[in-house]
Amino acid sequence: MEEIEKLKCENEKLKKIIEVKSDLISISAHQLRTSLSALKWIFKMFIDGDLGKLTNEQNNFIQKAYHSSEKMISLVNDLLTMSHAEYTSIELNFKEEDIEFLIEQTIFEFSGETNKKGVELIFIKPEHHIPPIRCDKIMVQVVLQNLVENAIKYSNQDGKVFISLNAKDERIEISVHDNGIGIKEEDRENMFKKFFRAPNAIEKENIGSGLGLFITKNIVEKHGGNIWFENPENTGTTFFVSLPIENKNIII
Amino acid sequence: MKKVLIIEDDEFLQGLEAGKIKKSGYDVIVALTGEEAMQRITEPGIDIILLDLILPKFDGFEILKKIRETESTKNIPVIVFSNLSEEAELKKAQDLGATQFMIKSNFTLDELVDNIKKILQ
Repeated sequence: MEEIEKLKCENEKLKKIIEVKSDLISISAHQLRTSLSALKWIFKMFIDGDLGKLTNEQNNFIQKAYHSSEKMISLVNDLLTMSHAEYTSIELNFKEEDIEFLIEQTIFEFSGETNKKGVELIFIKPEHHIPPIRCDKIMVQVVLQNLVENAIKYSNQDGKVFISLNAKDERIEISVHDNGIGIKEEDRENMFKKFFRAPNAIEKENIGSGLGLFITKNIVEKHGGNIWFENPENTGTTFFVSLPIENKNIII
Repeated sequence: MKKVLIIEDDEFLQGLEAGKIKKSGYDVIVALTGEEAMQRITEPGIDIILLDLILPKFDGFEILKKIRETESTKNIPVIVFSNLSEEAELKKAQDLGATQFMIKSNFTLDELVDNIKKILQ
């Protein structure tokens, strides 16, 4: 009995530490981003010639610096996602959530991003009311963010991304479709592997950690769900996520 | 000429933002603190507002709330331009009626200007 109490106490302590660590990461991320924004914008001004003409050599170095700043920003973004994932993986917080609202929120979050790329995000709303699903809200948001972010990232200029939501047989199904670069046959089996990035994805977007889909799959499976994709030839990619509404068989 | 109000407490970033936006053909006015922002939002002729979230005195959320509650400003588009990205902040901005949410470090200033242009179209 005493042992159990002791373990419980230790467990509480660890949770507290992770919580503090997660807060610390959010705060540092904000500070890092602010300094990195300044660096990135200044390098861009040099590149655009706003500060006078550069020699070829100067231009090469500044380009390198610009890309390094972009890389650091992307690392900070990944760090935030990872920290979130770690924090909540300790104990998923299952509550009844309105999935339609979560999708709308994700679309809002990417409003700036879509405008910048000229990509249109279209949410095909379900015909019938979708009941609330039992899930960890923050984790499901990470899933939505990763899928939508990828769809935008690998879309071509003026592409369209369709998000749909349906319910059937006690499950909901979300799909995210883009008409972007697609997935090559030889890369299909590696898509969810940790750190894997497909060559055509790297070519399109140099920066990325290869963690997005790995984390996404993990979260979906912890909810007793499935994730898969389809990519009929040359028509982009569709990712599907299916989640149980009631979630009786949660795997933690 | 369309008028942009920039609410940003980091003087250096504000200078870069204002410079770029002016150069792109907009009239720019700025506010460095939450208090100053509260006064400037009701100035006539503002077409769009760029709003940072962490500000001294009043934060960006309070300012956004005020913008949406004031008759003369309630329809002005507001781009929340911040380096915060926590779910709670995002939701709050959306609930208070932000037009767009942009994480500063994820954009260049040209992309910011493009977004302003698109919203004002």
